[in-house]
Amino acid sequence: MKKHIKTIFVCLFILLGIALLCYGSLFHSTDILAQEDNIEIVMAKNERELIKLASIGGLMRDESGWINQTFAVGEKPPETCAT
Amino acid sequence: MWIQTAFLVVWLDPLGLRYHSMCSPVFHCYACPLSTFACPIGVIAQFGALHLFPFVAIGLLITIGALFGTLICGWVCPFGFLQDLVSKVPTPKYDLPKFTSYFRYIILIVTVLAVPYFFGEEHFLFICRICPAGAIEAAVPTMISQATSGQPVVWPNAIKLGILILFLIAIFFIKRPWCRILCPLGAIFSLFNRVSAFFLKFNIEKCTDCKRCHKLCEYGIEPEKSPNDLRCVRCLECTNCGPKALKLENIFSSSKNKK
Repeated sequence: MKKHIKTIFVCLFILLGIALLCYGSLFHSTDILAQEDNIEIVMAKNERELIKLASIGGLMRDESGWINQTFAVGEKPPETCAT
Repeated sequence: MWIQTAFLVVWLDPLGLRYHSMCSPVFHCYACPLSTFACPIGVIAQFGALHLFPFVAIGLLITIGALFGTLICGWVCPFGFLQDLVSKVPTPKYDLPKFTSYFRYIILIVTVLAVPYFFGEEHFLFICRICPAGAIEAAVPTMISQATSGQPVVWPNAIKLGILILFLIAIFFIKRPWCRILCPLGAIFSLFNRVSAFFLKFNIEKCTDCKRCHKLCEYGIEPEKSPNDLRCVRCLECTNCGPKALKLENIFSSSKNKK
């Protein structure tokens, strides 16, 4: 591969990666269902919170497609991932 | 060795940050009691199970991959470092057929992408349920903690335990078996080897055809034919050949040389 073409590819990949990284960490959020005092509430969680919750097995997708928090609001979250 | 040790300190959370809302670019289970960051492969698989696109994890892997390729595997990854340390034990070492390196892509597609998306995280082939890094770094410490505190010990499933035992045997007889045969993160980074900012450059004018680079490479690659091979973990041993025909370059230094 010629050097200038390689340089263009590298720069494009880096730009794409940084764009995804910035979008994910700064702007992207998803609605999840959580229990609070036995009432289901919808909460918007940004991706950084979602990563943290996923890493401890704190999120589960139900059959209807909703993402549920596996522990109630105010309860202690699981310490480690279930796997 | 010292660079890998220095990075190990970063991954082992000496300041107790537990910064699990961000991924690292290395294979280090987030369930490990000493992990600073979240594992990108675990995050991609978990997000797949939730039918979410993991922008942060994919963005990080593309950025780091485009910059360094598998230089991360050879110099930064703690799981690679563990295998490097064990490989220093003087046991007979066996080489692997070339085709085994393609298993990594099957692992990536099946256990990290397809199984989580279609069957969820409870499927027995979900990457975290079979990952030996998770077994060593998370399950074993948890089991020890349970045993010492008098709680009932929860064993990992039979497949994870089987893979762990096979892995522990294999690392004594094969150089970096996980990285070469099964690592899905290495599979991702290897795709960038030919288009990364840092790359291995072969200078045909300096080469004396002594084949020393073949002996230096412990991964069965012929570096002069394919310096940025998919199987290469960029340990850079081949750059120690006498004539210095192989050299780590970057896209900016090579353009300077051209001038």
